[in-house]
Amino acid sequence: MTEDNFEEFLKKAAQSYNAPPARTPREDMWNAIQAERAAGPRVVYGGGSPVRESSVRRFGPKIWLGAAAAAVLLLATGVGVGRWSASSSNPGSVAVVNPTKAGPAPTSTGVTPSVVAPDAGGAVATAKPVDGGREATSPGAPSGSGRNPQTGLRNGRGPQVVVADGKGSPGPNRDYSNNSTSASAYQLTAVRHLSEAEALLTSFRTRSATDQQMDAQLGKWARDLLSNTRLLLDSPVANDPQRRPLLEDLELVLVQIVQLSPGSTPQDREMIEKTLQHDHVMTRLRTAIPAGSQRGS
Amino acid sequence: MELVAYESRSSVNDTQLITRVVAGDAAAERELYETYVDRIYRLAFRLAGEDELARDFTQATFIRAFEKIGSFRGDSSLSTWLHSIGVSVALNGLRKTKRQRSREAPMEEGLTVGSTRREAEPDLKERMARAIDSLADKYRTVFVMHDVEGYTHEEISGTLNIPIGTSKSHLFQARSKLRLALADFAPEWVS
Repeated sequence: MTEDNFEEFLKKAAQSYNAPPARTPREDMWNAIQAERAAGPRVVYGGGSPVRESSVRRFGPKIWLGAAAAAVLLLATGVGVGRWSASSSNPGSVAVVNPTKAGPAPTSTGVTPSVVAPDAGGAVATAKPVDGGREATSPGAPSGSGRNPQTGLRNGRGPQVVVADGKGSPGPNRDYSNNSTSASAYQLTAVRHLSEAEALLTSFRTRSATDQQMDAQLGKWARDLLSNTRLLLDSPVANDPQRRPLLEDLELVLVQIVQLSPGSTPQDREMIEKTLQHDHVMTRLRTAIPAGSQRGS
Repeated sequence: MELVAYESRSSVNDTQLITRVVAGDAAAERELYETYVDRIYRLAFRLAGEDELARDFTQATFIRAFEKIGSFRGDSSLSTWLHSIGVSVALNGLRKTKRQRSREAPMEEGLTVGSTRREAEPDLKERMARAIDSLADKYRTVFVMHDVEGYTHEEISGTLNIPIGTSKSHLFQARSKLRLALADFAPEWVS
């Protein structure tokens, strides 16, 4: 009985709890609904009241902070991807030197380009077709020690894979220096030197056999390059397993050119030519010089 | 009784109304709104205690209902579905409002010390209101719907998505707590 009385009492007394107004503001709410739907799907409780304003104040900065954090993250990701792609997309050209078909790389017309020797007083070597398919089979041909007579490569080596990076370093085992600036300087010097050597050798191969003056100029040019080659062999550049043998072979060829006297016989020149062919010096030089670098300068 | 009028709406009428609303019939939307707005608003007001919040909750309920009515599957009546949206909107909105006001309270307290009606001698209405406010949401909602607004346990069950037994249990718990809170007024119901 007491329980029933309490329920009745409670129901009666509770009618005053948050008693709504007698009249529902239908039109006002309908208009607000229509306006809200026209504006978009966003619904914020407490509209028009301090709650809504404070909600905007409360969430506004958070949204902007989140957006800023997302933008920073996106930017950092972009920079990272950019750096990664820059380093991975420029691993260098990969050239496989086939020792059985090595030789001077002809142009599409089969003619090697004219080269201006820097110390030749502007003399231009005439361009001639070059036979790039000759094989050096003479056992007496000068070459580096310990070479495979069939392949012309040093014993124990297969076809050479020379990876030249964008800085002209042809090997993956570069360890010139911990100092990146000094490593870059060595790289630059090496590339310029190899480019000059290529220009010299191209000029040598395309020169006129009877041009004694040209021989003298080439000899002087080769002497300069020879000293630089020796310096490079004693520098960290020579630590590269691909570059050191190239420099050694280049040194040998340069010595032969320097020793050419004005009265040298065609056999002497042919000997140099065979060395070039046998050791694939031209091909290796061109491979070691990165594409796009200035040659012969 | 208003409640009986709403319950008398047949499911056929509701289905037709829903179909028209989904088809974009503006008149049907208005009809749906006019049919249910009073109950939704009253319940929102009972839960919120403020006209402004009650309006916001009611508006949000209908906006959400119009957005989602295409996915209404008819598992419950349209009235139950609308009320479930309404109660959900109101309770979520009240939680946000409560958090917001609790942050703003310290400054406001400094300005209103000694001037609140809490300082006055509490009468039954005020003690009742404070006691109901102090109930947990689940008890308060059931109590308001059942004892104040006259919803049945079946309706409450469908609206809150709880078993009928749970609705009854919540009502029992709410009443018990209120009985303790209003013990000072026991002579009124004993007599």
